[in-house]
Amino acid sequence: MLKAGNAQAMATITIDNRQYEVDDGQNLLSACLSLKKNLPYFCWHPALGSVGACRQCAVVLFKDADDQRGTLVMSCMTPVKDGAIYSIDAPTAQDFRAGIIENLMTNHPHDCPVCEEGGECHLQDMTLMSGHTQRRFQGRKRTHNNQYLGPFINHEMNRCITCYRCVRFYRDHAGGTDLQALGRNHQVYFGRQEDGLLDNGFSGNLVEVCPTGVFTDKTYSRHYVRKWDLQTAPSVCEHCAVGCNTAPGARRDGKGDPRQLRRVTNLFHRQINGYFLCDRGRFGYEYANSAARIYTPQAALTQPLIQTTAGSAKVHQSLSPADAVARLAVTIAQMRSGNRRVIGIGSSRSSLENNFALQTLVGREHFYAGLDERSLALLKLVDRIQRDPRVHSPGTPEIERADMVIVLGEDIADTAPRIALAVRQAARSAQIARAGELKIPAWQDDSVRQLTGIRTPLLVASAERTDLDDIASCRVRAAPEQMVALADVLAQALTAESGEIHAPDIAGLDTGEFTALVEQLKQARHPVIVSGCGLQSQELLQAAARLAFAVAGHKEANHRQTDSREARAALYLACPEANSLGLAQLCDARQNLNQLHRERQSEHTPQPTTLLVMEADLYRQLPASVADQLCAGVDEIIQLEIVHNRTSARADLILPAAATPEYEGTLVNSGGLAQRHYAVYEGSGWIQASWRWLADAAAASGELAGAELSGDEETHARLQSLARWRHVTQLSVALAESYPELAPLAELGPDWDQTIEGQKTARQPHRYSGRTAIQAERQVAEYKPLPDDDAPMAFSMEGIQFACQSPLQANNWAPGWNSNQAIHCYQPKPGAARLGHSSGQPLARKAVVFHSDSAAGDAARPTADPSDGFRILPLYRMFGSGELSNYAGAIASVTEEPFAVFHPQDLELLSLTAGQQIAITESGDRWQLLAKVSDTIPRHCIGVSTGFTQMASIPGAYIEREQIAPGDA
Amino acid sequence: MERITPELSTEEIRDIDAEAGHYPHKSAVLLEALRIVQQHRGWVSDGSLQALASYLKCPIAELEALATYYQLIFREPVGKHVIYCCNSVSCWMLGGDGLQAHLQNRLQISPGESSRDGLFTLLETPCLGDCDRAPVMMVGREMYRQLSRETLDAMLSELRARDGQQPMSDHREQ
Ligand code: SF4
Ligand code: SF4
Ligand code: FES
Ligand code: FES
Repeated sequence: MLKAGNAQAMATITIDNRQYEVDDGQNLLSACLSLKKNLPYFCWHPALGSVGACRQCAVVLFKDADDQRGTLVMSCMTPVKDGAIYSIDAPTAQDFRAGIIENLMTNHPHDCPVCEEGGECHLQDMTLMSGHTQRRFQGRKRTHNNQYLGPFINHEMNRCITCYRCVRFYRDHAGGTDLQALGRNHQVYFGRQEDGLLDNGFSGNLVEVCPTGVFTDKTYSRHYVRKWDLQTAPSVCEHCAVGCNTAPGARRDGKGDPRQLRRVTNLFHRQINGYFLCDRGRFGYEYANSAARIYTPQAALTQPLIQTTAGSAKVHQSLSPADAVARLAVTIAQMRSGNRRVIGIGSSRSSLENNFALQTLVGREHFYAGLDERSLALLKLVDRIQRDPRVHSPGTPEIERADMVIVLGEDIADTAPRIALAVRQAARSAQIARAGELKIPAWQDDSVRQLTGIRTPLLVASAERTDLDDIASCRVRAAPEQMVALADVLAQALTAESGEIHAPDIAGLDTGEFTALVEQLKQARHPVIVSGCGLQSQELLQAAARLAFAVAGHKEANHRQTDSREARAALYLACPEANSLGLAQLCDARQNLNQLHRERQSEHTPQPTTLLVMEADLYRQLPASVADQLCAGVDEIIQLEIVHNRTSARADLILPAAATPEYEGTLVNSGGLAQRHYAVYEGSGWIQASWRWLADAAAASGELAGAELSGDEETHARLQSLARWRHVTQLSVALAESYPELAPLAELGPDWDQTIEGQKTARQPHRYSGRTAIQAERQVAEYKPLPDDDAPMAFSMEGIQFACQSPLQANNWAPGWNSNQAIHCYQPKPGAARLGHSSGQPLARKAVVFHSDSAAGDAARPTADPSDGFRILPLYRMFGSGELSNYAGAIASVTEEPFAVFHPQDLELLSLTAGQQIAITESGDRWQLLAKVSDTIPRHCIGVSTGFTQMASIPGAYIEREQIAPGDA
Repeated sequence: MERITPELSTEEIRDIDAEAGHYPHKSAVLLEALRIVQQHRGWVSDGSLQALASYLKCPIAELEALATYYQLIFREPVGKHVIYCCNSVSCWMLGGDGLQAHLQNRLQISPGESSRDGLFTLLETPCLGDCDRAPVMMVGREMYRQLSRETLDAMLSELRARDGQQPMSDHREQ
């Protein structure tokens, strides 16, 4: 195994008479696990550290070679010491561990057969590992009542072994306040004060953190199968732009239920999600199973069956995939012969390959991002800023270690949740550093936390109360331009030789606080600046960039960083969608929906035109009136889509598109990292990846008589290459050749036919059951496993089973380790990058120094309305602002209704009352919202829920004059 | 259980604020605040917990964690007289368990329960530090020492006789 850069101090230790060299500074448990020793433990967790609570990890420590008895120590609490002698196998240690587990098990119900942890249970594994196979205890077991914890998590307290991991994660790591250890002694209870939804956005991790079946995934319960009956593949979360790695699990029910996706679990990625996902990412998967899912091609009836008043919504009827392809082929043939214009609308939530296929079909000049002008401009700006050599995008470990964090305007807890969790850890970096000075290692969790009153400086400037407020050392609630002013003054203070710097005029930020901020920023060696597209302000992004540049300059001048990477400033800019930055590479800023709308409006000689919309809802991007005009101005709308939406309602032809876990593709996250997700299962019905529909139709169009005869050469060449693509990796390679930024795509993963020692990677584990019987209801013979044309992976049990041996193996499973704790078997050491895992490729963007151009002002930003002086601030919610996750049942059930938040004085001024329904209208659109009051929203601003279903995702983008009237509820 | 948030009384707030002055961190006053509320109300209801949480601006679950950790914070209504029966070794050697059985029989309750007339609650407790005068019981803040069945019966009668005076006087300081 290779050692990274700077040499890590090593210690030589002896375990059971064998010598090993291990990293110094770690605890003995972590060292033993790195050596792949089977040493049982419960309360220790690689991300939570040691507290020595469970006593399960006991080993014997000998004074010296002559010491025959030794003393029992808890390995998780014992730092490895050079020259020390330990024993895992010593009878005293074994007996002790057996006694501990036996004691823990006295209260544990024997309910593995009905427990959803069964088969992937750390407690089962450790019980067996400790040799406790026979229960001697005859007494009564302690029992508890369970609580209702909301739609995501089951609670079964009888299974608890009191390891305290749940509260250490939920409270200490994620900042939750509603889960506690209650009671004491024999009766400790982990729960809420009363029944109710766990309100922390990372609650889903309890399912993986709890080593027993106390907390299990309730959405999985509804269609539960054992871990060994799931097939899996590495995937990337599609619910925001952070790009967390996931291991979705799927299984057919054998009875033809199209809903195959069963759950999502974490897939360790050191630079991004580590051990934890957010709840949108974990529970959002249900969209793929939702009632709105499209499984078969559908065509609009030319004659409506009944005269309805449904307006422009069409009535659809299924048609065969062959007919659907033929219909699309006709359109393409007309395009080839120059008789039709086809406009492709791409998607920031779909893969680069899908977008590229669409672009290849329609030609670059007819390809538009499925984004409004402002959203695309923001992405292009992010892209330009990130190209500047003075900044880099920090990964999660770097954010966690930051010695100062400045969050400018972005509500990361709702738009990039995993990053917010990282920032929460950064708030403790000062404490950990202080502990280091006192020679307390960071993993000594309880001791480190005793050092109270030491906090990393954390500035949170936001439009509204945020979930990071509790850890912020300085909170500023302000409108975007005030944040711009704040960032600029900070930047100035850093660069200015001398001279007085005045605090910007922001309510709540006094001079003392501001001076402290400046001082902290000057002292910080590893500050991280976080901002993003959320407030939809280019000026804010630019200000964040200017501040980052100033930090870089300051670092270079003052800290004399030798490493050029070190001298760069860490700037994390959150984008909205899983492939926002990928899409931005494929088009220029003008290729947006508003531009398209304008072009269509000004067209004088109408020509037959098709809108080919791929995985984008025009009505989410544009006010309905504009989207309506766009749709009405063409004679055909064809949509490739996952779930029905307002655009598909108007489409003449709908083709069922694969959801992220159903196909292979590449997504670029907010940090500019290209990552590949693989098909976990083959989509049901006629679902296939969008690019395959396009390739099929391109091929079919070539066969249509006469198609070759007319039209231009270049179009034919494009369509021919599209028609020839069989494997998604061919598209990746073509992308790499067409766009220099995307060159790394060629290196991203194995080609479809590139096996490892002649073997493919198995999606199903060895123990997968029912293989010969699962389809018996429909066919007695065993089905042949589906072939995979995109990756060297099998939809079966054949092939590589172990994660280390293939970058494509996502199954977290090793002999003796059936739970997700098995991950350490695939790491050189707990917490380190997974062995053999492809961690993605950064885009090869050319370094260009960024100059903020004043011309790139916020053209479309809603300005203060002259009539009433109010402006809209977009607000986000983890549950509610995600286009796809809004289709997930459990998430939808806890999503609040769309709202507008007012400052109390403004509410009064407008004679509104909280709780009232109000309406906001905007160029013809009218949204009914719940009026809410909050004294944390700046005056003269209205915070409006953004991205909620049935609203354009950017209310206010086009508001010329919003009228707020008491709505008719 | 009562659902409405009963406001903290002025006296309770005064007492809590006085305590808060002694600590650098707000979190340190939570336990004292629970004790104060109990002192005024005899026990800590869900509503009282909510009132405290909103006054102290702390998560209600944190208060619950404290309240359920400390045995002497009552999350259920208790009788006017809370009898703590020592069940540690000295008292046991001198017949404490027999006495407890007698008491349970007299009151028809088990440890953790209250008598139907609402007068008595029986709790077990470890050593009360009065071993030289074992067996002992504590009622409210008052010790009853070297108990026998007879003196125990006398104790009950005395407590019954006291009824009608200050309610909950047992939980009040001084
Ligand atoms: S609920 Fe689970 S994580 Fe929490 S203490 Fe019990 S066993 Fe440990
Ligand atoms: S932070 Fe984003 S990418 Fe990560 S799990 Fe949550 S929604 Fe998915
Ligand atoms: S893992 Fe070491 S004591 Fe729990
Ligand atoms: S044992 Fe009862 S007072 Fe000590």
